[in-house]
Amino acid sequence: MKAKLAVFAMGLLSAASMFAHHSFSAEFDSTKMVTLKGTVTKVDWLNPHIWIYLDVKDDKTGAVASWQCEGGAPNSLTRNGWTKNDLKKGDAITINGTLAKDASKTCNASQVALPDGRRVFAGSSNPDLAPKD
Amino acid sequence: MKARKYGSFLTAAITATVVTGALLFVPLKPLAGQDAAKAGGKGGGKGGAKGGGYQPPAGPTPRKADGKVDFSGYWARPYTPDMSQFATDMNGKPFPNEDRAARGQIAPPPPPPDPNAAPGRGGRGGGGGSRVLPYTAWGASNWKAYDPTNGDYTGACLPFGLMRSINSPDPLQVMQDGNFMAYLFEQNTWFHLFPIDGRPHTKGIGTWFGDSVGHFDGDTLIIETVNFNGKTRLDTNGHPHSDQLVLTEKWTRPDLGHVTYEMDVHDPKTYTQDWKVIDDMAPRQFVLHNDQHIMEYSCEENNKALYEGRIKPPKYDDQ
Repeated sequence: MKAKLAVFAMGLLSAASMFAHHSFSAEFDSTKMVTLKGTVTKVDWLNPHIWIYLDVKDDKTGAVASWQCEGGAPNSLTRNGWTKNDLKKGDAITINGTLAKDASKTCNASQVALPDGRRVFAGSSNPDLAPKD
Repeated sequence: MKARKYGSFLTAAITATVVTGALLFVPLKPLAGQDAAKAGGKGGGKGGAKGGGYQPPAGPTPRKADGKVDFSGYWARPYTPDMSQFATDMNGKPFPNEDRAARGQIAPPPPPPDPNAAPGRGGRGGGGGSRVLPYTAWGASNWKAYDPTNGDYTGACLPFGLMRSINSPDPLQVMQDGNFMAYLFEQNTWFHLFPIDGRPHTKGIGTWFGDSVGHFDGDTLIIETVNFNGKTRLDTNGHPHSDQLVLTEKWTRPDLGHVTYEMDVHDPKTYTQDWKVIDDMAPRQFVLHNDQHIMEYSCEENNKALYEGRIKPPKYDDQ
């Protein structure tokens, strides 16, 4: 049990390195959360934020919508153990995030569930979602 | 004393993690020696004695050949998006809590504490929340009106400015020789070079990072910066300053692995009295990583939020 807690605490501490290229509230509405289950179509591993593009299928209508979600900066994600190849085109993932204020299909990713079941912190700077430092 | 503080922090971190179970995650393939960089100095250090995390190298304070303290190194710093949380007057007295619903207003008295509540981390003066800084009328008006939705200079990749760069979460590399010191910020690959041999300020025009000069007072390096252009903010939350800001940083290096950092704010246009943020809590301690160096960070590379109009560029009076 102690070991598990230590691992979780390590994760919490790791997230204390937030990715504050700009004020979170300038772009996102912290009151509007979203969960997206979809298939990765592209990943931009670029500054100042990585971007994950995914197609999300509506289970009821079958319609597919294209979304884009912002993650942390490549340098910070690298220090947290991510690599450019951890997400690939065709991967089925789930993103928990925060919607953009402009109502576009854009989110700030706080957590990504990978195909192998791991859930990883995506570098969100949302002060209400990111683990506190 | 510090070991006890870090131990308390680790306990609080574990408690917070359990409480926030919905947000639990595991890091991908953690890299050796990286954890405290992520901790940014909070847990990075002696907290590792209990949790097995990063421990900075141990040893005496390094010095140059002339005996001056050498502050060179790659420093993980705590992300400090809200300086007011740790601000006090120059006598160490905290300012009143801020009402979250009304920026710049003092919070109503808190409800009596729940006797059944689990112990929390707390903060200086209780709670660690935002504080009402001693604004002038101009400063209060500026703070109340600030809304990054209407224009965010950092989102436009403009220079963060000195204080907001120090407060950022990205690492800082310091290089020092006999006469100069350089802050190499990973954030946007900015640098700030200044003399530390006691020479006076130049009479320059206002700039984003200001005009810094430093001198040693014993083992403390005191850096005073003036000539700001007034286009930046002190922290991510946007606490204001003007072009009259005089910022004083105080660096000490009690041992090889740590720097303690204090900054004093003097800005008569924005604040009615001077105030400071001092390292009597872990958040203002920097932790050495001698196994790393800063990496390139090109903010303009793919700043989609700006290009696609979700972030607006700032508007300044001289534009």
